[in-house]
Amino acid sequence: METIDLHLNVNGSEHSLTVPASRTLLDALRDDLGLMGAREGCGIGMCGACTALIDGHPISSCLMLAAQAVGKHIITIEGLAEDGKLGPVQQAYIDEAGFQCAYCTSGFVLTTVALLSEHPHPNEETIREYLSGNLCRCGSYLNIVRATIAASLKT
Amino acid sequence: MAVGKPIPMLDSVARVTGATPYMVNLRLPGMLFARVLRSPLPHARIIRVNASAAEQAPGVVAALTAADFDREGAPVLLYGLKDKEQPIVARDRVRFVGEPVALVAAETLEAAEAALLLIDVEYEELLAVHTVDAAMQPGAPALHEQYPDNCFVHAKLRHGDMDAAFAQADEIIEETFTSPLAQQTSLEPHTTIAQWQGGALTVWTAAQAPYMVRNTLAEIFGVAPESVRVIVPPLGGGYGGKGHIRIEPMVAALAWKVGGRPVKLSLTHAEEFVTVTKHAVSITIKTGVKLDGAFTARQVTLHWNGGAYSDASPQLIPAGMVRSVGPYRIPAVHVDSYGYYTNLPAAAAYRGAMSSQTTWAYESHMDTIAHRLGLDPLQLRLKNLLHSGEQFATGETLHDVHFEACLQACVDQLSWTKPIDQPDGALRRGRGMAVMMKSTVATSRSQCRVTLDGQGQVTLYTSTVEMGQGAHTALAQITAEAVGVPIESITVVGPDTAITPFDSTTSASRATNMMGSAVLAGGAKLKRRLIELAAPLLEVEPDELAAEDGAVYVTNNPQERLTYIETLGRNQLDRLEEEGEFATKLGLDPQTGQGVATPHWHQGAGACEVEIDTETGKVRVVNYAAASFAGRVVNPRLAKLQNDGNVIFGMGPALFEEMIIDGGQVTNANLSDYMIPSLLDIPETLHSALIESDHGEFHGIGEMTLPPVAPAIANAIFDALGVRLRDLPLTAEKILRAIMEQTHGND
Repeated sequence: METIDLHLNVNGSEHSLTVPASRTLLDALRDDLGLMGAREGCGIGMCGACTALIDGHPISSCLMLAAQAVGKHIITIEGLAEDGKLGPVQQAYIDEAGFQCAYCTSGFVLTTVALLSEHPHPNEETIREYLSGNLCRCGSYLNIVRATIAASLKT
Repeated sequence: MAVGKPIPMLDSVARVTGATPYMVNLRLPGMLFARVLRSPLPHARIIRVNASAAEQAPGVVAALTAADFDREGAPVLLYGLKDKEQPIVARDRVRFVGEPVALVAAETLEAAEAALLLIDVEYEELLAVHTVDAAMQPGAPALHEQYPDNCFVHAKLRHGDMDAAFAQADEIIEETFTSPLAQQTSLEPHTTIAQWQGGALTVWTAAQAPYMVRNTLAEIFGVAPESVRVIVPPLGGGYGGKGHIRIEPMVAALAWKVGGRPVKLSLTHAEEFVTVTKHAVSITIKTGVKLDGAFTARQVTLHWNGGAYSDASPQLIPAGMVRSVGPYRIPAVHVDSYGYYTNLPAAAAYRGAMSSQTTWAYESHMDTIAHRLGLDPLQLRLKNLLHSGEQFATGETLHDVHFEACLQACVDQLSWTKPIDQPDGALRRGRGMAVMMKSTVATSRSQCRVTLDGQGQVTLYTSTVEMGQGAHTALAQITAEAVGVPIESITVVGPDTAITPFDSTTSASRATNMMGSAVLAGGAKLKRRLIELAAPLLEVEPDELAAEDGAVYVTNNPQERLTYIETLGRNQLDRLEEEGEFATKLGLDPQTGQGVATPHWHQGAGACEVEIDTETGKVRVVNYAAASFAGRVVNPRLAKLQNDGNVIFGMGPALFEEMIIDGGQVTNANLSDYMIPSLLDIPETLHSALIESDHGEFHGIGEMTLPPVAPAIANAIFDALGVRLRDLPLTAEKILRAIMEQTHGND
C-alpha cells in the first residue's frame, strides 16, 4: 500500500504522520492521533457526526482525505476547551440539555461554533438551516436550538 | 430531595468534549478486526463454502464458516428465543440478502475486507417471499420446515361475545392500515469485541440487554453463565435496535476460533439495515358502534412481517396484540396477531415497539368512525377513553389511568375549539389528535447493589444501560433519595455482568420504573442497616430513629445524631452493602389473551396542526403538542427531553421513513436515501407535557409520545382535505395522489 508523509495542524499542534494515501481525515484523527470525539455515523457525509472545522468551516471528515487537510487549521471537539474550561458553546449544550446519547454532539457543537462565527446572533430559521446537516436521532433538536441561542447571547 | 430535580446528565462534560467511551472507541492490546461475508441472494441453497484461501491471505488470523461448528467441542450453530432456528453463520441455506455466511479476523480491517473476496461460495437460488401476502400463499416456499405456512406465531385475544356485540351495533366500520419496513438507525453502529481466555469469554458490546447476551452466549458455547462476562459502555443510541442478541454470537464464535486474542466487529451503516428492522405490518380493524358513539365490539387482525428469523418476535408479536386494541371501553374484543417468516432481515423492536404501528391503525380508525357518525373526534374519544378502575380487553382492571388528562393537555395547547385560520391559495390547514396505550414487559426482574463506604460515598451497581435516555442520572437521583445522601456522593457502575446484578433488559421504557424500584428497595435496606448500627450508639431503639441527609437521628430529638461516616467508623466497618430487587410475574393466557398484560400501562397523546400545499402534497407540521403520563418525574429536564425527542423521532416513520426492497435487496440502505428527521423536518413549535399523579410510581417515558405522531398528522390531513391515508409514510406523493383521486372522483 502506498503511504505518504504529511503534516497536520490539529487544535493548534503540528503532527507528522505516515499514512496510506487513501486515509480519510476521520481515520487519521481517530486512529493515528487518538482524537475520538469525531465519530463515523453514516460514513457518507449525511449525518455530521464526524464534523471537524477546517479553517473554520464545518466539514465531514469521513469524506475528506487526510492529505487534503495539509496546510489547513483543523479544529476538533478536543480543541474547544481552554485550560480545562469548556468553550461557551459546550457549556450552553450542557445548560440547555442539547444532547441525549451524544454520539452526534461533537459534530453539533463544532457546527454551532462555525455558525456563531459566521452569524453571531442568528435567528431560529438560520439556526435550523445551518444545523440541518447534522442529525440527532434521539431528537434533541429543540434544546440544540436553545443552546445555540444561549451561546450566541454569551459571545 | 434529589428526585424531581432537573439536574444535567452526570457525565455531561464527557458528552460535550467527545470523551464518552462508546464501543467504537474501544481498542484492546492484540485486537483483531472482523468483517462479514454476507449473502447476495434472498433465498438460496448453499452448495459450497470454501474459506481456505482467505485463511492463507496476508494478515488473516482466522476465517469462520458453518463447518467450524461440526468440530468436537464447537459451539452450537443455531440459537433463538423460542425455536433455535437462527444460524450464527449460514450452513446449507441463506434466507435473506445480508445473512452472514462467513467471517474473517485479521490484523487490519483492510486485510479482513480483502480476504472476504477470497471466500468461495456457490449458491443455488430458491424462490423467495418478501411480503406476508406472498408468504401466506398456498405453495409459497417455507423458510423453516417446522412452519410450512410460514406463520411462526399467532397470539390470540378473546374477550366477550363478538357476534352478539356486533349485532348490537348501528354501524360496523372496517379499515386496513399498513406500516412499512423501517430501520432503528442508531448513529452508533452495532459494535462488539469478544475475547476467550482460559475457557472464559469476555464480551464488550453495545447492547440494551447485557444479561440476555450473557445467557444466550453461555448456551451457545455450553459454558456456565458465570464464564461469560458482558460489559456495556454508554450507547450511541439504541431505540430497540440493540434490544436483543444481534452480532454477539458471531463475534464470540470468531474469537473462539482465533483463541485468545480479542476480535472486534463494528458494522458499516449499510450492514445495519440487514441486521435489524422494524416490523412491516398490515392491520385490519373492524369496530361496531352505536349512533351515539359507544363501542360494541372490535376485531383486529394483524399480519406482521417477521423477516427470516424470529429474533424478538415471539415476545413482540403477542405484545403487539395487546397494544392493538386502543385505550377505549369496548365490551367485546377479538385480536389475532400473526407473525410470518419472509426472506427479509429479522424485524424487532423500534422505539414505541409495535405501538408505533398499532396506534397508527386504531387512532386513524377513530377519526373515520367520528366522521362516519358525524361526531367530533375529541368528543368521541372523551366518551370512550378508559378510566382507572375500568376493565381492559384482557380482563385486567386498570389503575392510575390518565389518558383523558394526556389528551386534554394536548388539545388545550392547540386551542382546539377555535376555528382554524385558513391560509390563502393552495395551502390548507387541519388539526388532528391521537392517544396511545402501551404495555411494558409483563414478567421481568431488576436487581441492584448499593454500597456505602467509610467516606460516605455511595455506589450503585446496576445492569441498566445508559443509552442517552439519562437512566444512570435518574437512578443516581433515586439512589440519593433512597439512601439519604446528596447526589454528589453517588457513583453509578455498570453494566458489567461480573460485578453488576441481574436485570432483564433496558427496553420497553421499563428501567426507571423497574430498576428505580429495585434501587428504592436496596436503599431502604441500607438505611435500615445504618439505623440498626446507630441505635446502640445513640442508646435508643431503632424504631425511634430516622436517616436522612447522610445522618441517622433521633426522630423526637434531631440534634441527637450520627453521620453515616461516624456510624460506620464507630462500628469498625469500612463498607456496607445491600441488594435491592423488583420483579413482576404477570402474563396472559395464550389461548384467550386474558390475564394481566403489564405492571402498568404507558399512556401518551398528541395533537397537531398541519399545513398542506395542495399543489405539491407537501405537509408541514405547524404546531405539535404532546403529553405523557409520567407518574412521578425523577428528572424534569431529562424527562421533557424524552417527551420532545419521541415526537421528533416519530416524524420520521410518519412522514418519510421506509426501507425499499427490490428483489429482496434493500435499495436505500444509507442515510442519503433513507432519511431520518433533521432540524428542517421538526414541527415549527413543539410543546410537551408530563402528567404526574399524587403518590405516583416512576413511569417510563421513553416512547409514549411517539406512536401518536403518525395518526395525529394523518387525522389533521383528513381534517384539512377530507382524504384518508391508510399507508405510512405520509409522503407528498401519496397526499397529492389522494387529492387528485378525490378531485377526479368528484368530477
